[in-house]
Amino acid sequence: MQQSNRTLLGMLTWLTLWFSHTTSAAPEIPGESLHGPLAFVGATVHPISGPTVENATVVISRKGRIQAVGREIVIPPQAKQLNLVGKHVYPGLLDAHSNIGLVEINRVRASVDSAETGNINPNTKSWVAVNPDSEMIPVTRSNGVLLALSAPSGGLISGKSAVMQLDGWTFEDMTLRSSIGMHVQWPNMLPVINWTTEETASEQIEERDEQLEILRQTFERARAYQQARTADRANSVFDIRWEAMIPVLEQKIPLIVSANDVQQIQSAVGFSTKQNVRLIIYGGYDALQCAELLKKHDIPVIIAGIYRLPRRRHDNYDAPFALPAKLQSAGISFCISSAGRFGASNLRNLPYHAATASAFGLPKEAALKAITLSPAEILGVADRVGSIEKGKDATLIITDGDILETPTHVEAAFIQGREVELNDRHKRLWRKYQEKYRRLGIGN
Amino acid sequence: MIPRTILTQAILQVTLITSFLSPSFATPPASKPPEGLRENTPQCFSLRGVKIFINPTRILENASIVVRDGVIESVGQDITIPADAQNLQLAGKTVYAGFIDAFSEVTLDQTTLDTSAAHWNNEITPQLSVTHDIPSDTDKNAQLRQQGITLQLVAPAAGIIKGRSALFFTGNEPHSSRVLKDEVAQHMRLTISRSHNRTAYPNSPMGAVALARQTMLDADWYRRAWAAAKADRSLPRPERNDALNALKNLSTSGQTVITDASNELFFLRADRFAREFSLNLIVRGSGKEYQRLEEIRTTRRPIIVPVDFPKPPNVATPEAATQVTLEALMHWDIAPENPRRLDEAGVRIAFTSYGLQNVNLFLKSIRKAVNRGLKPEAALRALTTTPAALFGVADKIGTVEADKIANFVVTDGNIFDPSTNIVETWVGGQRFELKKSSVVDFSGHWTVHFENRTIDLSVTTETATMSGEFTLPNSDPENPTQIQLNRLHARDTRLSAVFDASLFEHSGFAQLTAVATTNNDGDNELTGYLVWPDGQRTSLSAVRREAPTTVTSAADQVPQKETVPTKGQTSASFDVNYPLGAFGVLETERTPQTILFQNATLWTCGKKEILKDASLLISAGRIMRIGHHLKAPGDALIIDCTGKHITPGLIDCHSHMATDGGINESAQAITAEVRIGDFIDCDDIAIYRQLAGGVTTANVLHGSANPIGGQNQVIKLRWGMLDEDLKFSRAPAGIKFALGENVKQSNWGDEYTTRYPQTRMGVEQIIRDEFHAAENYKQRWKTWQRIAKGIPPRRDLELEAITEILAGERWIHCHSYRQDEILALLRTLDDFNVTIGTFQHILEGYKVAEAMARHGAMGSAFSDWWAYKFEVFDAIPYAGALMHKAGIVVSFNSDDRELARHLNQEAAKATKYGGVPPQAALKFVTLNPAKQLRIDSYVGSLEPGKDADIAIWSGPPMSNFSRCEQTWIEGRKFFDMEGDLKHRKLAAEMRAKLIQKIWASGEVMLTPSELSANQEDLWPREDTFCSHGSDHTHHRP
Repeated sequence: MQQSNRTLLGMLTWLTLWFSHTTSAAPEIPGESLHGPLAFVGATVHPISGPTVENATVVISRKGRIQAVGREIVIPPQAKQLNLVGKHVYPGLLDAHSNIGLVEINRVRASVDSAETGNINPNTKSWVAVNPDSEMIPVTRSNGVLLALSAPSGGLISGKSAVMQLDGWTFEDMTLRSSIGMHVQWPNMLPVINWTTEETASEQIEERDEQLEILRQTFERARAYQQARTADRANSVFDIRWEAMIPVLEQKIPLIVSANDVQQIQSAVGFSTKQNVRLIIYGGYDALQCAELLKKHDIPVIIAGIYRLPRRRHDNYDAPFALPAKLQSAGISFCISSAGRFGASNLRNLPYHAATASAFGLPKEAALKAITLSPAEILGVADRVGSIEKGKDATLIITDGDILETPTHVEAAFIQGREVELNDRHKRLWRKYQEKYRRLGIGN
Repeated sequence: MIPRTILTQAILQVTLITSFLSPSFATPPASKPPEGLRENTPQCFSLRGVKIFINPTRILENASIVVRDGVIESVGQDITIPADAQNLQLAGKTVYAGFIDAFSEVTLDQTTLDTSAAHWNNEITPQLSVTHDIPSDTDKNAQLRQQGITLQLVAPAAGIIKGRSALFFTGNEPHSSRVLKDEVAQHMRLTISRSHNRTAYPNSPMGAVALARQTMLDADWYRRAWAAAKADRSLPRPERNDALNALKNLSTSGQTVITDASNELFFLRADRFAREFSLNLIVRGSGKEYQRLEEIRTTRRPIIVPVDFPKPPNVATPEAATQVTLEALMHWDIAPENPRRLDEAGVRIAFTSYGLQNVNLFLKSIRKAVNRGLKPEAALRALTTTPAALFGVADKIGTVEADKIANFVVTDGNIFDPSTNIVETWVGGQRFELKKSSVVDFSGHWTVHFENRTIDLSVTTETATMSGEFTLPNSDPENPTQIQLNRLHARDTRLSAVFDASLFEHSGFAQLTAVATTNNDGDNELTGYLVWPDGQRTSLSAVRREAPTTVTSAADQVPQKETVPTKGQTSASFDVNYPLGAFGVLETERTPQTILFQNATLWTCGKKEILKDASLLISAGRIMRIGHHLKAPGDALIIDCTGKHITPGLIDCHSHMATDGGINESAQAITAEVRIGDFIDCDDIAIYRQLAGGVTTANVLHGSANPIGGQNQVIKLRWGMLDEDLKFSRAPAGIKFALGENVKQSNWGDEYTTRYPQTRMGVEQIIRDEFHAAENYKQRWKTWQRIAKGIPPRRDLELEAITEILAGERWIHCHSYRQDEILALLRTLDDFNVTIGTFQHILEGYKVAEAMARHGAMGSAFSDWWAYKFEVFDAIPYAGALMHKAGIVVSFNSDDRELARHLNQEAAKATKYGGVPPQAALKFVTLNPAKQLRIDSYVGSLEPGKDADIAIWSGPPMSNFSRCEQTWIEGRKFFDMEGDLKHRKLAAEMRAKLIQKIWASGEVMLTPSELSANQEDLWPREDTFCSHGSDHTHHRP
C-alpha cells in the first residue's frame, strides 16, 4: 500500500497525475468532503489526549468531525467502514514553526516570500502569501505532517502567523486559524565573533541596544495609538502597523519571540511582563536555565528542532537531544518543531525530531504529544486539532507502524475528514525513473 | 663591528622623556659639512657602586662600569676609573643588559617594488627589507625604553612570504641610523587574514600554504634554471624575478626564517613546512604552546614568545559565564605559566611585546611569568642572551661586558620585583633617564612659612600625578586639620597649586607658586608667594623637612586595583588536557590488547550479515574473529553486550569538520594544489560530537567553489590526538571536483559574474583543458628525465595533482547535481581513461544510474535534502534506493556537522524510501563509503583482519530510539556515555573553581565589547556555497 499513489478510498486514479509533474503547480488534487460518515475499525488508535487503544474504532461524521473513538463504539449504519487491523491511527502531526508556502527554493529570490523588508512589520500576515501549490506541501503531508504554523521572519517584528492545513485549493481553504502569534526576532544579547559575523563586538552591542530601543518605542507608539483610537475612533487616523499591534496589547494574540540564549529569553520575558502581553518562546535552547521565570509566567516554549548543534563548545553533545526531557522534568510547557533549518523542505522529518528526543529521555507518549497536542495547545488550536477526541476535526493519519520510526509509512491521511492525496513530487519522479530502469531491464 | 653612526650621530638631541640634555658626543665624521659650531663634549662615563648582572647568572655587587663613546670600556669591582670619566650618581642601583624585544611588525611600503620583476602574487614579497622599505618613522621607542627595551626586531607585517627583518636600537634617531643588523630573518605567515580580499588568490589559509609551497619549489627551480642558462648561453634566459631570487638560497644558506604561529597547531604546521624545505626556523608563537608542550619541545625550534596573557573572561554574571568556554577559563589560568613550562621543557625562548595592547604592559607581564614560576635567570636569558644569539648579535649585545655596545638598564632594585623602577635605559651608549618627570622631586614633607604662620606641607608623587596637603599646626594630632591642594603641578623647578583658603580667613581659592632652589646643604628650599582670593599677594618660603617619599610608599597608601599575588602562591589549578577545555582527554586510557565483546547482535555489514547473540574478538587494534561461542584468550578483557547491537564504526563520506584552514579556496577555478590535510584541526569539538554518533572515519573534503578544488583528507576521529595522528594514512589520495551552480558562481552575488566558467558548458571545457595540460606537463617531464638538457622544467603542484588523477593514483570526489553535468563528466573521464572515485550529492544520479553503473561510478548522496536551491529541486529521497538497485555502490553522507551526529538514522531512510533492506541500508554508512574511499580492506565491516572500529548501540542501530553508547577506533575506546558523564562532572567542577579564582584574583575581566575571534573560529567549517544549512544568512564566499 505504501507505494501506491492511490488514495485509500480510490477516488482518483494515479494515471491522471502522471502527466503533470513538470507544471509549476503541484498536481495533487485537494481532498473531497465526505459524503457520509466513515468508520476506522480495528486499528491501534493513539488519541494523545488519553492512552493508546488497541483494536479501536474511530467514527468520523459527514462534516469531518470525530464523532466517537474507543472500543465499544456503535458504528452508524450508513457509515463506510475501513478495516484497519494492524494499522495505527494518529492525529495529524503539527509543526509549530515553519515557513511552508512562503519559500519554494531558498536560493531563488523570486520564490521567497518569508521576510518583508524593514524592522517593524506587525501588519504582515503570513497566510495571504502561502502558495497552495507549493511542492513542499504534498511532500510534507506524505509523512504525516498535516498541519504547520506558517510564520514570517526577518526584521524585528516580522508579522503574524497562521496554522495551515496542508491541503486545499486556496490559502483560505488551508487556513485553520489565522493571527496565531506576532513574531519577533529578539536581538542577540551578547556579541558573537566568528566567520559568519562581520561586525565587531562593540558594533554588535550598539546594534543590540538600538534594536531593544526600537522595540520599546514600537510598543509605546502602538499603545498611544490604541489610546487615541479608543478615545475617538472617528477622528483618529488609521495606522496599519499600530492597528495590527492592538490584538497583541489586548492579549488576544501572543508574541512568539525567537530566543535561544539565556539572556535573550530573560530579556524577552522581562519585556513581555512589562508590556503586559502574552509570550511564547521559539527556539528555547537555554529555556532550562530560565525554568522558574517561564513557569511563573506560564510561558510555553516551541523548541526549534532537536537536530541542532550544541550552541557552545562546552555544552553537552546531547544538549539539544535531551532538552525536551529536561523541560518536561522541570514542568515547562513545550512542543517540538522541526524549525525549518532546511526551510520547509524537510518538515516531514518532524516525527524523527520527537523520536530522538525520546531516545534521550523524553517518554515516548510525551514525544508524540510534543508534535501533536502540545503544539495545538500552545498555538491555541487545540479545540480543533492535536488529538483524537470527540468533536475535534478528523485530521488524522493512518500508518503501518510507529510514526516515530523512519521506515514507517503513512498510508492515508485525512484533513477534516477529507482524504488527502499522498502523492508528491518525489514519488512522481521515483515512478518515472523506475519505469526507465524497467524498460532498460536494470535492477529495481 | 659596531656601527659608528649609532654611537656618535645625532646624540645631540634632547630625549623626549627627560628635560635633561644628553651629554653630547664629538661630532662624527660625516660627508655633510657641520652647520655652525662643532660639538666636542667628552663621552666617557662611569657608573660606580652598582650591582651588575653581567649576564643572567653572573652578578657583581658594588662594581663599576666605564662607558666610552657608546661602548663598554670596562666592567668590574676593581677597575680603574679613567680620570676623564664623568661619574653618574647611580650608586646602589642595579644594572642589567638591555632587553631585546624579539618581534614587532611594521607595514612596509610596497610601492618601491620593481613590479616588472615582482612575484605574480602580491602576498609573496621576500625581496622586501625592513631596512630599505620602512615607510616612515614609527617611533614608539620612548615607550619601549621605559620597559628597558633597547633593541627590537622589526619585521614586515604583510604577506605570506613577507620579507626580511632588521634589528633596531630603540634610540631616538631616524631609523636609518638605528640599525644594528640588517636582514636578520625571512618572515612567513602560513595563513592569511580573514579580511583578505575575497577575490584574490589565495583567499584561504589552505591556499596560503599551497602558494608558499609552490613558491619554495619555484625558487629552487629559479636557481637551477639560471644556472643552466648561465652555463649554456644559447638557452633562452628564464624570467627575472626578484622574489624568487631572494628565496633561491633560503634552504641551503641556513638563513633564519621566522614564521608566525597563531596557536599551537599552527606552530606544528610551521615546523612541518620548515622540515619540508630544510629551513632554519624560529617560530613567533602565540602563548598557547603549553597546550601541546611535548610535541613542540620535540621540534627543537626556538620560540619568540608573546606575553599578552589573557584578561579573565567575562564571568560577571551567571549568564555571561554560561557563554565562556572552559578552554578560555583554563587558558586564563595557565597562560602566564607558558614561558615557565617552555623553559623547563628545555625550549629556547625569547620574549616579544607583540600582541600586547600596550607595550607598557611588557615588564609587568614578564614579572607575572616570573611570579608564576619562570626562573629569573631564564627570564633574563629570554630578554637578553637568547635573542642576541638567535639573531647572531651575541658578540655585540646581550651582556654587560667590556667591548659590548652600551645597551643596559639601570634599576632601583630587582627587575622582577613589582615595585622596582627602571631609572635609566642606555641605548647604543645613549643615556635615557626615565624616572624624573621634573628636575626637582618635590615629594616629601616641607615646613612652610607665610604671614607669620608655620604649617606643614606634604607632597606625594606617583608616576604621573602629584598630590599634596597642608596640615595646620596645634590641631589634635589624632585628627589633624588638613587642606587638600588641588591642581598640584610641577614644571621644571616650579611647583604650583590651588587650595581652599577659608581656613586662612579668606573666602574662595588661593593660588600657590614657588620655585625650588638649592642651598649649601644640597637640600631644597622653596621661594614663592600666595595669591589670595582678593588678589593680594603674600610671600612664602619653605624648607624640606624630610627626604622625598618613594613611589612605593605612595603606592602603599593607595590600594591598587590589582593585587599582585605573592610568588609561588598561585599556579594553574588543572592539568592541560587534550584538546584544552571541556571533553578534553587527560591521558590515554590503557586498553587491554585483546577484548571480547559478548552476547551482542552484530551487524557485520559483511558476508555474515546479522549475527544474533554473537561475539566479537579484537586484538592489537584489529578484528580477530566474529561468531558464536567465541572463547576469550586468557588475557582478554570481556565486555558483556547483552541487549546491545554492534556495527562497524560509521563512515561519513562527505565532511568538512576538523579543518581550520577554510574549506574553500575559492579565488581560482582550479586549485588542485590546495590540501585540506595542511589544516586538520584535531581540536574541533565536532570530532567528539560525531564520535558520540558512532562515526569513526570521515572524508574531509574541500568545498565546491571551483570545478577542480583541493585535495581531501580522510581522517579517523581520534579525539585528543594530534592532527597528523588523525590522518588515515592508508587511504589513497583524493581530490574534490564540483559541477553546477556553485562553480559557475550562480549564488555568489552580483559581483561574481566573470570568472570562467559561468555555465555548465564552460565547466565541462575547463576540466578537459586541465586534463590536456596535465598530459602535456607529464610529457615535458618525461622528456627532461630522458635527455636532461636545456632549462629544467618547473614543478607545478596543481598539474602534478592532475597527473596523479590520470595515473589512477588520486581519486576524484565530484560534487554533482544535474544529470546532464553528471553524464558530461563521465564522458570526459571516459575520454581520459579515468574512473571516478565518487559522485558526491549526486542528486540526479537516479536519472542516469545506468550510465554511472557502466562507468563504475559510485554515489555518495544526501538521504533526503532537496529544494534549497534550483538545481536540487529534482532531488528525491528515493535516489539512494534507485541507484542501489541499479547496482551502484551508494552511501549517505552528512556534509554537515549536525547531520553527521545521527547517520544511523539517515541510513534508515533508504529503507523508508525505496525499500532497501535494513542490513543493506546500514552499509550506506559503513561498508559502502569505505568502498568509495577505497579503504574497504581496512574498515567498513566487522570482518577478521579489519580495523577494530566499532560502534555499540543501545538497540537496533537504525531505530530512532537507539543511542550510540560506545565508539572504538582500532581497539581503543574514544567515546562512551559513562565517560561522557565523567567529563561533564569534571568540567562543571573546573568551571566553578576557575570562576571563583577569577573573582579572587581581582583582575579586570574582558568586557563584552572586547570580545575577539579565536583563530580557529575565523574560517567556515561548512561549504558556504551549498547553503543548505542556512535560511536567512547570506554568506560571504
